[in-house]
Amino acid sequence: MGNNINDNDISELLRRDLNKGFSLVVEKYSSRLYWHIRRLVILHEDADDALQNTFINAWKSIGDFRSESSLFTWLYTIATNEALVLINKRKKNSFVSLDDLDSHFTNSREGSIWFDGDEAQVKLQNAILKLPEKQRIVFNLKYFDEMTYQDMSLVLKTSEGALKASYHHAVKKIERILGGD
Amino acid sequence: MMKKLNEIPGKNPFKVPENYFEEVNRKILSDTSDYTREVKKIGFYKRFRTQLAVAASVAGFILLSYSAVKILTAEKKNLKMPEIISVENTESYINDIDLITLEENAASLNFSEEGSGVNKNEIIDYLLLENIQISDIYEQL
Repeated sequence: MGNNINDNDISELLRRDLNKGFSLVVEKYSSRLYWHIRRLVILHEDADDALQNTFINAWKSIGDFRSESSLFTWLYTIATNEALVLINKRKKNSFVSLDDLDSHFTNSREGSIWFDGDEAQVKLQNAILKLPEKQRIVFNLKYFDEMTYQDMSLVLKTSEGALKASYHHAVKKIERILGGD
Repeated sequence: MMKKLNEIPGKNPFKVPENYFEEVNRKILSDTSDYTREVKKIGFYKRFRTQLAVAASVAGFILLSYSAVKILTAEKKNLKMPEIISVENTESYINDIDLITLEENAASLNFSEEGSGVNKNEIIDYLLLENIQISDIYEQL
């Protein structure tokens, strides 16, 4: 039910009945936000933490959202910030550079049990992990989430032109890494 | 040679535990309702702590300002009073000293009308009543 209802109706429901409205927000967005976070933090345990924190923070600041125009971009902004918090925490606690899948898996409790990619997927993920942080976010949002530059510009508070350039550089870099194998 | 991204199959390589989304949704809603209960439990003081602190600071500032104004105003009034009092006291003090000295001096003098039965102090009192300056009386004595 939550996935079919549009954001305007959810926003209206949030005004009338906060609890009911919020349960629809969680139902509609938990999966999308999880995959967005997961592609950034790689590990399920981290994505799980960041997803829960995203909704807790959204709930705490739901009053701020009411003045915002888009529920979708507002939630993506919170989720991206939570993912970055987790990434920085991992970096601080890790003795090795986290720029490939293996270094993530060896630095976690769960290892690679929640990863099921073939060789090509592993190569793609490793190439993405070599990108600078901001470029990685832009690439993921465009390539996997198929987010428009307009929405992305609201999420990342960056101009559409800069985002297009960033995505272009990211694609070139990834193709170069993949071609080099 | 560059490899095109679209040559890579679009399968999601990441997995989640079974029924993960149902469970995490339930947990999130339970946590947020717990948070609501916690917020509701928070008393008046905790919820409005910041506002109360600001109000207390403003009230304190007003009280201090009022006290300062009161003290400064009072000090200005008090500043004039000692001048008046000191002038009055000084005059009175000088008069008392003058009279005492005058009487002492008079006591040691021999009046020409000795044995006239008139008290010397009475003469001085009389002269003072007649608005004769103390300095003149000194000269006469």
